[in-house]
Amino acid sequence: MDAAAAKLIGAGIAMLGTIGAGLGIGILVSGAVQGIARNPDASGDVQTNMILGIAFAEAVAIYCLVVALLILFVG
Amino acid sequence: MNNTRPRILGIPNRYLTLAIIVLGIFAARVYAPVLPHIQVAPERLSHQPLFTLPVIGPFYLTNTMTAMVIADIILLLITFAVWKAVKSGSLVPQGFSGAIEAFVEVLYNMTESTAGKWTKKIFPYFGAITLLVLVVNWTELIPGVDTIGILEPVVEHGNPIEQVTSNIYTLIRSEGGTDSDHAAGFTLIGFVRTLSTDLNFTVALALISVFMTQVIGFQALGPGYFSKFINISALWNVFNKPMGIIDFAVGLLEIVSEISKILSFSFRLFGNIFAGTVLLFVIGTLVPVLAPSLFLMLEIFVGLIQAFVFGMLTMVFMSLATKGHGDHEEQHDH
Repeated sequence: MDAAAAKLIGAGIAMLGTIGAGLGIGILVSGAVQGIARNPDASGDVQTNMILGIAFAEAVAIYCLVVALLILFVG
Repeated sequence: MNNTRPRILGIPNRYLTLAIIVLGIFAARVYAPVLPHIQVAPERLSHQPLFTLPVIGPFYLTNTMTAMVIADIILLLITFAVWKAVKSGSLVPQGFSGAIEAFVEVLYNMTESTAGKWTKKIFPYFGAITLLVLVVNWTELIPGVDTIGILEPVVEHGNPIEQVTSNIYTLIRSEGGTDSDHAAGFTLIGFVRTLSTDLNFTVALALISVFMTQVIGFQALGPGYFSKFINISALWNVFNKPMGIIDFAVGLLEIVSEISKILSFSFRLFGNIFAGTVLLFVIGTLVPVLAPSLFLMLEIFVGLIQAFVFGMLTMVFMSLATKGHGDHEEQHDH
């Protein structure tokens, strides 16, 4: 297996970590939507905290993406 | 409601849009878009360094520096527009200044509800970081960014070029499909490249954010702020409460958490925007007509969210730093 093929396979495997981010964001938004359904007046607060939490969960997926991009485009 | 359609120069907008789409289809057939060589580090525009510092090394003019100058000019123009609107004395500014005022007011209310009495110290960082990162993220959507630049001869990853008019050349796809990895030819170095795709910018902004968080914590709590990291009192009481060793270890873990915040800030912004530009390149190459507009809409949204999240996390960490450990109960009294 030459280096170019190994790069492509490695980038593909590195992106498997985004499964965790998808699950995390799904659980988060589910909790937020239930909170808004219980108490529609608090929807502004709940939404702000949900966006904050989504950014944290998505950052982990972005780390996977950065590793994949580093594998593909550097060196 | 009036029946006139929105027009520019007397032509209804819908016909202009149709003309641009048809022009795009023909342009994509004649000069098919070429996937440029993408690299993580920003490309150099000058062959000689601008200046050389003794220990650090040479500083070249990179194409992200032009993006930084453009973003600064845009921010200064926004500032002057808002300043003129405020100086004119009317209580409700109209138009663009009104939009900026609404934006700043949303951010300020958010800061006030989180930070309480430290709002006036924390809000400048929140607002400045959000506005700067927003302007920088949205420059990647301007047509011409990353696509207009200098063609340089390279020995690998190159494409042949073709002359459009005098002094304007364009890359064309090499024969034999898209296997241009080992061909000699030319590569495009854009004049402007989105500043958030430069790790220098994101790491510098993350360092500023985390460092000023410590400074504001020190201003709020005095030298006792650092007992969050090095828990001397738990160490002194270790004979009364042997479990205090765990508190000390937790304090050391807080230092690791601060360092991971630097990494997390910088790589979140870098990863989102760099992936966005790579996505725009690839989609522009595969489906040049109509599909890039969907991804440009996605990039508007992503740029806004990432700017907002960077600023808001800075603000939340700063306000947490002013609170200390004792008074977590009085956070939500409304």
